[in-house]
Amino acid sequence: MTDASLLAYVPILLKAARLTIWLSWLALLIGSVGGLALALMRTSRFASLRLSAMLYTEFFRSIPILIVLFFCYYGVPLLLGIDLSAFAAATVALGLHASSMMSEVIRAGIDSVRRGQWDAAKAAGMTYVQMMRHVIGPQAVQVILPPSVGIYIMMLKESSVASIIGYVELTSTGLLIREQIGSGFAIVGVVALLYFAMCYAISLLGGALETRMKIAGRSMQLGELR
Amino acid sequence: MNYAFSLRAVVPYLNGLLPAAMATITVSLATMALSLAIGMLFAIGRQNRSGAIRFISTAYVEFFRNTPLLVVLYFVYFMIPTIGLRLSSFSSALVAMTLHAGAYMTEILRAGLLAVPDGQYDGARSQGMTSWQILRHVVMPQVFRTIYAPLGNQFISIILGSSLTSAIAVNEVTAWTQTAGAASFRYFEFFLVAAVVYLVLSQAVNLARIQIGRALFPEEQGVSGAGRQP
Repeated sequence: MTDASLLAYVPILLKAARLTIWLSWLALLIGSVGGLALALMRTSRFASLRLSAMLYTEFFRSIPILIVLFFCYYGVPLLLGIDLSAFAAATVALGLHASSMMSEVIRAGIDSVRRGQWDAAKAAGMTYVQMMRHVIGPQAVQVILPPSVGIYIMMLKESSVASIIGYVELTSTGLLIREQIGSGFAIVGVVALLYFAMCYAISLLGGALETRMKIAGRSMQLGELR
Repeated sequence: MNYAFSLRAVVPYLNGLLPAAMATITVSLATMALSLAIGMLFAIGRQNRSGAIRFISTAYVEFFRNTPLLVVLYFVYFMIPTIGLRLSSFSSALVAMTLHAGAYMTEILRAGLLAVPDGQYDGARSQGMTSWQILRHVVMPQVFRTIYAPLGNQFISIILGSSLTSAIAVNEVTAWTQTAGAASFRYFEFFLVAAVVYLVLSQAVNLARIQIGRALFPEEQGVSGAGRQP
């Protein structure tokens, strides 16, 4: 097999890569919403909310994404009597997993806001929503954004497990092409390189973002000292 | 909801669970040990004076941190017979997982090495210690302190990552779940059992790390007992 024949498959792989990006993007979206809810629960006054959010987070960080995926794809239809497509199951499973990771990041962001800011907001007569929206949120975002890029990269990589339940994204497209060729491993190498190109590019962007955020963070602290 | 939940359905398959759990533990422990060795090699490589060695070490780390473990598993699994080697799927899995985890280990160890102040090397050298003695008696004890907590987290990710080896036919816990679930059509119960197995394994590592950390570094309670990083 020559390199030229592998190049012929690149357009198909790129199309498949778009599905991988779409899947991981949806997972991040669900993860952000779920993570925000969990983080608010973990910083809440009520012990029961704190405990259930903590149990959720620890649970999903202690079991493999593949088990969650199997549960969504095979278990949920049996349990609820509804049919889930491989895409829907993968999105939900990745989203559940992303929520647990995002919740830790968002919680760290909320915790990073100094006590005085909370007190001042409360003293100004703000409601919980106003406080989160105008005081805590904007400051927490600077701490939250850089690690979120890392979580997105993680989702890009983890979305490859969707191939196991038969969703035809980048990994499984590579495997299908390999079957068509007959054997060999070069096509899997091309798939690996595509993942690398996507993740590495995003990690470089994330690095730049982190530098900018750090500067913003420092000036914020200087402002507080004054 | 007309699904009759029954954990009893799991019982006939339980004698397969023990070897499966052993496979998960074995492949994780072996990956941990091998990736630690590889990680040490590349961590030192990343600080080498030669630009080529630094580049190779950095390229290794960046490549494997930015590719999915599953793709690396398939790559190694398909490559090994092509280049004329005969390896079991267990060994292929071990190779792939070690390459993958080694990249993360390199970063953990590098952070550990960087945390040792330059003055420590100078001080040790002025005592007339050889390079090996410096590494063994001055640098490593300090590195160990820094890497201790991340090492525990890495071990948990290795255990969770080992579930992917089921894709290349390693008979570990996830493969057991899949086979038994398909045979009995009782997926829900089997996934529950598998979740419990992984939960017990990772929480055991987590608790052991905290307890051993308290004994090893009694002076930094807060640090060694701190929660996992994301």
